[in-house]
Amino acid sequence: MAEDKAWSTSAEVTWCPGCGNFGILAAFRQALAASGLEPWQVVVVGGIGQAGKVAQYVGANFLHGLHGRAIPHALGVKLTNPELKVIAVGGDGDMYGEGGNHLLHAFRRNPDIVCLAHNNGVYGLTKGQAAPTSGPGFAVKNREAGTRMPAFNPLAAGLAMGGSFIARGFAGDIKHLSRLIGEALEHKGFGFIDILQPCVTYNYVNTAEWYRKRVYDLELESHNPLDADAARARILEWPAEGDDVEIPIGVFYRSRRPAYETCGRVEVRTASAERRGADPVSVVKKAMEEFR
Amino acid sequence: MADNRRDLTESLPVNSDRVVLVPKAFESSDPIAWCPGCGNFGIREAVKLALSELGLKPEQTCFVSGIGQAAKAPHYINCNLFNGLHGRTLPVATGVKLANPRLAVFAEGGDGDGYAEGGNHFLHALRRNIDMTYLVHDNQIYGLTKGQTSPTSEGGMKTRTTPCGAIEPAFRPLALAVMMDAGFVARGFCARPRQLADVVKLAVEHRGFSLVEILQNCVSFNHVNTAKWYSHRVYDLTEERHDPADRDKAYHKALEWGDRIPLGVIYKSGRKSYDELVGDMTGPRVSDRVPGLLDVLLAGLR
Amino acid sequence: MSEVNLVIAGRAGQGLQVISRTLGRMLVRTGHHVFISQDVMSRIRGGHSFARVRASTKPVAADGDKTQVLVALDPSLVARHVPDLAEDAVVVTEATDDLPEGLNAVRLPLADLAREHGEDPVMANAAAVGAVLALVGLEPDGLDEMFGSQFAHKGSDVVKRNVAAAEAGFRAISEDRVRCCPHQLLRTEDGRQKTGDAGRKPDRVLISGAEALALGAIAAGVRVVTGYPMSPATPIVEYCFRHARQAGLIVEQTEDEVSAANLAIGAAFAGARAMVCTAGGGFCLMNEALSLDGMTEVPLVWCVGMRPGPATGMATRTAQADVLFSIYAGHGEFPRAVLTPADASQSFRAARDAFRIAERYQTPAIILFDQFMADALWTVDRDELTMDGRRERREPEELKPYSYRRYEATASGVSPLLFPGTPEQLVYADSDEHTEEGHITESRAMRILMVNKRDSKLAGIRQDLEAAKVEDMAEGEAEVLAFCFGSARGVVAEAVTRLRGEGRKVAMVHLKHVWPFPADAVSGLVGDGRKVVTVEQNYSGQLAQLLLQECGLRAAGTVRRYDGRPFTVAEVEAGLRELMGATSG
Repeated sequence: MAEDKAWSTSAEVTWCPGCGNFGILAAFRQALAASGLEPWQVVVVGGIGQAGKVAQYVGANFLHGLHGRAIPHALGVKLTNPELKVIAVGGDGDMYGEGGNHLLHAFRRNPDIVCLAHNNGVYGLTKGQAAPTSGPGFAVKNREAGTRMPAFNPLAAGLAMGGSFIARGFAGDIKHLSRLIGEALEHKGFGFIDILQPCVTYNYVNTAEWYRKRVYDLELESHNPLDADAARARILEWPAEGDDVEIPIGVFYRSRRPAYETCGRVEVRTASAERRGADPVSVVKKAMEEFR
Repeated sequence: MADNRRDLTESLPVNSDRVVLVPKAFESSDPIAWCPGCGNFGIREAVKLALSELGLKPEQTCFVSGIGQAAKAPHYINCNLFNGLHGRTLPVATGVKLANPRLAVFAEGGDGDGYAEGGNHFLHALRRNIDMTYLVHDNQIYGLTKGQTSPTSEGGMKTRTTPCGAIEPAFRPLALAVMMDAGFVARGFCARPRQLADVVKLAVEHRGFSLVEILQNCVSFNHVNTAKWYSHRVYDLTEERHDPADRDKAYHKALEWGDRIPLGVIYKSGRKSYDELVGDMTGPRVSDRVPGLLDVLLAGLR
Repeated sequence: MSEVNLVIAGRAGQGLQVISRTLGRMLVRTGHHVFISQDVMSRIRGGHSFARVRASTKPVAADGDKTQVLVALDPSLVARHVPDLAEDAVVVTEATDDLPEGLNAVRLPLADLAREHGEDPVMANAAAVGAVLALVGLEPDGLDEMFGSQFAHKGSDVVKRNVAAAEAGFRAISEDRVRCCPHQLLRTEDGRQKTGDAGRKPDRVLISGAEALALGAIAAGVRVVTGYPMSPATPIVEYCFRHARQAGLIVEQTEDEVSAANLAIGAAFAGARAMVCTAGGGFCLMNEALSLDGMTEVPLVWCVGMRPGPATGMATRTAQADVLFSIYAGHGEFPRAVLTPADASQSFRAARDAFRIAERYQTPAIILFDQFMADALWTVDRDELTMDGRRERREPEELKPYSYRRYEATASGVSPLLFPGTPEQLVYADSDEHTEEGHITESRAMRILMVNKRDSKLAGIRQDLEAAKVEDMAEGEAEVLAFCFGSARGVVAEAVTRLRGEGRKVAMVHLKHVWPFPADAVSGLVGDGRKVVTVEQNYSGQLAQLLLQECGLRAAGTVRRYDGRPFTVAEVEAGLRELMGATSG
């Protein structure tokens, strides 16, 4: 497949010019191109919101479902056919608000799924409400004095829940993000990346420039992602209040844990009859013995 | 860190003659539907003791619960109660507190209620930090529905829905709470009611979201984590002079499990509670409101 | 009557809503009745959005037929509107070189005007407003006051520049006024500006359906409002957020819909007048909470917006396809009210009715609306909007200490209501079946008692809500009754008026509430021999199903539309005509 045509579609991209999603999409495409996978082997599951639309733009199989439910949908796909590469995509409202519970339990269960959470600190598609990652004092249209809660830290939740791959990227550094996504694709387990991006229409605070001045690469600081204590310290650096903050990006924590769908009895758990190997009629006959 | 203890005399009308009520005030006549030997009995005693010693009157409290054996507890205590839906305890409790901040609000439920169905509400309640006390009866199993696995069932545990052993590791509520910088994080044990009552009192006095995880045995369905099993492992943090303000230590304590399980106050953050940040939200009622309010609002539409 | 129909078309992000609203307000201030509908895509930039502005000397509640003035902020969008243009329509746009043939096109250099006079590209909006005023024959009076009230918070400099840009826009057209707009639609023949109501300055406001719902709730004394962002309900919650301090509101945007509904229930249990706002799929998520509301008998108002489904459907478009769903939502059997207001004025009153019903009968009161109604801008007389925060709850009589029984069975089904925190009394609410005290029970007798108790409330609600009436028709003259509900009213009324103008014997029945279904009133209206048809924006004819189910009336046909766009008067007229031909009416 020709390189520029690979991992793309003719679907109209309906993002605002300058949207951070363009950078994320580019990184995603690059990572997919470098992965050696064929589009038919990949399923992208999108939530509802500007970010979720990515599912329709990478030329792979896609399920574009409901707001907040990308992770359960993705889990369903993976359990049924573990040979597919499954990636869940959505925004911060989608993944951290409506879908927060699913995210918590995904960290815990560790299915072999990649999760790309586009974090722009605001609700874009519904036009500018505060999001779980909006900082306190962030005055959006529906809060006079800003939100009164601290911004949600998804990495902190991930670590607490035993996540096996916890990372953060930035839409403005496509090369770095593309590498991160590649690592997540390789990782056997729940590969989670919180991706910072500007929203040119509704977030006048956390612009691309604002992020650029503050992000720094963990790898350049010789961070050891196998060290949970070090990871915790870095994870708690941001979100934080004040303008004088530094925001680490890269892989914060990595561990080796069995992926959910490979635990124990995959033959029993997989839905596909072919994989089960036993003849259904004889299975039922045997089971009926119990009722004699 | 600012002292986060709230003086009860400020926001709650207290029993005026300051006599310590015997737990009788909180006795309810509703017949109890728990199994004999259920850990819930011990928790109930501790809660009644705490309420009495705090000098609260029944009508000053409001217990909000979900669905499950634990969620029946408010029926067995004399108090205002809202026994709602499985997993929806925290939103309802939040609504009650916002509408009437003068009530001492308690949210009460089990581990399935709180961490499975209610997981999202739990996560965001830790952020929101509304002033209330959340009592989680954690028996690591689903009791009312008869023995299915719960988020806090340990890996490998055999239950009705994990006949080959639970394949995922347990949910870690205390670690999550510490990482979310929750206001007050503590653990108790149903077979140590005095210690639990003390922790509950501290939780109520803390102005903010206070999580009290309560280990309990389930005589009918959890044959692993029995009362004896817990007794051999729990220890009181106060014996170790643990500093709840130290977040790093608190995180490690929150993860400590297995041979040693800490009880007591694990973490206290200095965060202001939601209602402190917002100010008095009771506000004027429309009937006493600014006359001409409609004209003020309509000015922008003419 | 004289009227003008304008369309303002552009790409999302070009300020369409600001232009149409400002224009609308100017027109209302000059004494006209204005109706504005919004057609918006589910995106933030690009695409194609437009507003239809109809200004008249008589009240209007539907879009006009043909467009007389098209203002296209992006010239490439002109072609899409050509089919709707009147013969002598004027097309105003930035560049006129590449337009379809045969149009009366006027070049309006909005970008230049904005830059030169407003010193900012965003002032193109103001320039467009000024230009339109000239096109329709109005004077640029009152621009200072208009922009002053809109942008006071941005400073007097911004206000001045808006005014300058608007005046420049006005001049750009008015200098060539006769050629541009031969009708001068809002001018009399001798050149005077027409005003509605013969010069008397009526006190009117221009308000969207969503704002009217929010304002109605505030007027009814709401204190706690919850929701999760979802079109078309979001503007209701946002209005409440903006005015929270002024109106003393607690407004919460929660982590998800389930939380929003349950939080509102908790607040209402604790004594606040509360309202939860959602739409489509969000209401699906809240179904269990609705069931909880019915069981615990907590007074709560539910604002539920309709849009095309199923699932995410067409997020920013309109439909009336969740009527049956709203009536049967929430498992189990319990009474509720479902109100279906037609426009802003009815929405304002529906909010007040909803709080009254919810509190008096301790049930869910659902206000069912649609995107078209919520986003449209309606002209309402100030006098119709009044405060009424009266408490409706039934209070208990003399009670001994700690003897209150929350679910005391009464003849009407309504128990005396107390809130937690009442000295020396306790309040229990339970989602399980419960005793009169409120404790859990599995007793057969108690279950039967409670089911009957809850159901008895329906009779009270039914009586409380106003009966349906036949609109604008003397008794006995109609052979065909056109039934509709919600926002279809404006279109159907106008279609019916036209048909009657030809001597056709048809009348409209608009239902402001669909549950409890006003079966007696409807059966009485239809009587013997009258034919019934329905006009509704759904595929399966849900109102027709209700008529059959509740009254045994079989509709002779249904005029329907389900493409996400609102009815036009012309298509309803044609549809009714065809059905009447079929019934030889």
